[in-house]
Amino acid sequence: MAKNLSGDLTVASANRLSDGVVVFLDDKGQWTRHLERAALARDTRAGEILLERAKAEAFSVVDPFLVAVSEDGRGALEPVSLREKIRVSGLTFAAIAADAVRYA
Amino acid sequence: MPDTHFYHYDDFDRTLVAERVEQFRDQVRRRLAGELTEEQFKPLRLTNGLYLQLHAYMLRIAIPYGTLSTRQLRQLAAIARKYDRGYGHFTTRQNLQLNWIKLEDAPDAVAMLAEVDMHSIQTSGNVVRNTTADHFAGAAADEIEDPRVWCEIVRQWSTLHPEFSFLPRKFKIAITGSPNDRAAVRIHDVGLRLWRNPQGETGFEVIVGGGLGRTPMIGKTVRAFLPKDEMLAYLEAVLRVYNRYGRRDNLFKARIKILVHEIGVDKMREEVEAEYATMKDGGLRLDPQTIEAIARQFAPPPLPHRPAVVGAVEGLKLEEPDFALWLKSNTAPHRLAGYRIVTASLKPAGAPPGDASSVQMEGVADIADAYSQSEVRVSHEQNLVLPHVAIEDLPAVYRALARLGFAEANVGKITDIIACPGLDYCALANARSIPVAQRISNHFSSLARQHDIGDLKIKISGCINACGHHHVGHIGILGVDKNGVELYQISLGGDVDFGRTALGDIIGPAVEADRIVEAVDALVRTYLDRRDAGERFVDTYRRLGVEPFKESVYAAV
Repeated sequence: MAKNLSGDLTVASANRLSDGVVVFLDDKGQWTRHLERAALARDTRAGEILLERAKAEAFSVVDPFLVAVSEDGRGALEPVSLREKIRVSGLTFAAIAADAVRYA
Repeated sequence: MPDTHFYHYDDFDRTLVAERVEQFRDQVRRRLAGELTEEQFKPLRLTNGLYLQLHAYMLRIAIPYGTLSTRQLRQLAAIARKYDRGYGHFTTRQNLQLNWIKLEDAPDAVAMLAEVDMHSIQTSGNVVRNTTADHFAGAAADEIEDPRVWCEIVRQWSTLHPEFSFLPRKFKIAITGSPNDRAAVRIHDVGLRLWRNPQGETGFEVIVGGGLGRTPMIGKTVRAFLPKDEMLAYLEAVLRVYNRYGRRDNLFKARIKILVHEIGVDKMREEVEAEYATMKDGGLRLDPQTIEAIARQFAPPPLPHRPAVVGAVEGLKLEEPDFALWLKSNTAPHRLAGYRIVTASLKPAGAPPGDASSVQMEGVADIADAYSQSEVRVSHEQNLVLPHVAIEDLPAVYRALARLGFAEANVGKITDIIACPGLDYCALANARSIPVAQRISNHFSSLARQHDIGDLKIKISGCINACGHHHVGHIGILGVDKNGVELYQISLGGDVDFGRTALGDIIGPAVEADRIVEAVDALVRTYLDRRDAGERFVDTYRRLGVEPFKESVYAAV
């Protein structure tokens, strides 16, 4: 699984058990696919607490961990590492085209 | 139309695989119901080839000795369409990976595999993995014997072998039946090379302790000539020595290559021979009937006589330069004069290396049904192979492959790049591989230029585990992560073809991702400027040494 990264701002992430989809823990203790809804920990202690909450809510996910993020002036979150950016955004290239599009 | 010219599952195989499907179905059910923790479940899913990657589960499907019937290939396409995103990735171990499988669908996917005598068992974990073979096996003009017979014997022996279910680390075996090794046997834990001794007998050279990864090693010969009927007992002796002495205290030192390196090949040979002496006349000695019964299933398809020189083919060569180039690079000599072996390049310009959509897989199956005895091979270079194509049919096969996007005349050329899935998919990767391969492929897309450059193998790995075989690339590219930035380390002079196995030399500091194309271009220009007649890139590198290449790279980036 993805490595933990230390940083001031963190969110809790995991892969959804049923299909592996990347999810984040929100303020209500629910797992969401949307990074913008993730609960944000602003310091190390808050991160530790967030991770404990994530582990307590881990029934439907696999191996929660903290992801270091940055926050822009409008409050939008972005992972710091390329690995986590790819986890959020998906492949960085166009996967081979769907059947009907390219070769049908 | 015959189904296969290779091993057919018997009732034992079918029962074993069917039972495993139901066991796995129950394990998945219990995991989803919360009756199993991830810690309990993970080894169960891994032993069935189900990984959890960056953003999805990945199912790794074994393709024994890289051989598929068209029925099996169509089923793979159907599974990819039904349970994945309509495509799959053929790997350097002749497997197929589906990158978007849902856990809840995985039991149904492996049940569909079982319908066509396939499975994903032992494609992960510290066990004997899928045994690979020369992808031209059974068809190549230079072959001594079909190595797949021996791969199948190894498969039956190693599947769920109780003594070797908890090895110190994974264990990979490759077998070639040709003097021109196309199975990379010297970079496997055990490589077996069939050869004929001066007495005219065929047997195996047994090579142990090869491997890439963090500590690349070229395998050492522990037995120069092993009679064929002793192969299984000898393998068991090798595995026993490894199981006993292989390190379990350090993941990075647990492969057999480290054991061979630490104790030396002479001591390794002594240990293996001593173990073998205690068991060589036991139950693992293969009786001729057993060998014959398996060999019969690999009997070559009945190929009718076809002309070796065909006017229409010669004419098309003159009319269509790309067809002439394709004939040169994508077809190889067959054991019968009227036939060629055709490689379908899964590396069209700018495409992810080794990927094929369901439609493309079905298209290749259609072509194989019409022109290649319903048989397809997967090469460790991430291409598909049609092993038995009549020369008369080559124009039709070329056009059919072109419609699928698989007729790029680039096999063995600079755009026939091996690349691991890299950071776009893989949880272990440090850097991306596929986008780098795509940029290089686009840059060198001119076929005329590729053929002027000649044979040049680029191999790209996204981490030190070296799934992209970068250590043995003429140009090897290794992605590394330095403080969150992707950098690419370049090595030169690696090789793996035709027994010329060599590990590449790192040329210097890693280059930035957006300069990698310029770096490769500089290497190629240096080669073109300095090559002697008939020299491949790697030959020129060996003659000149690293300096001129290094200078050109760092001047360019």
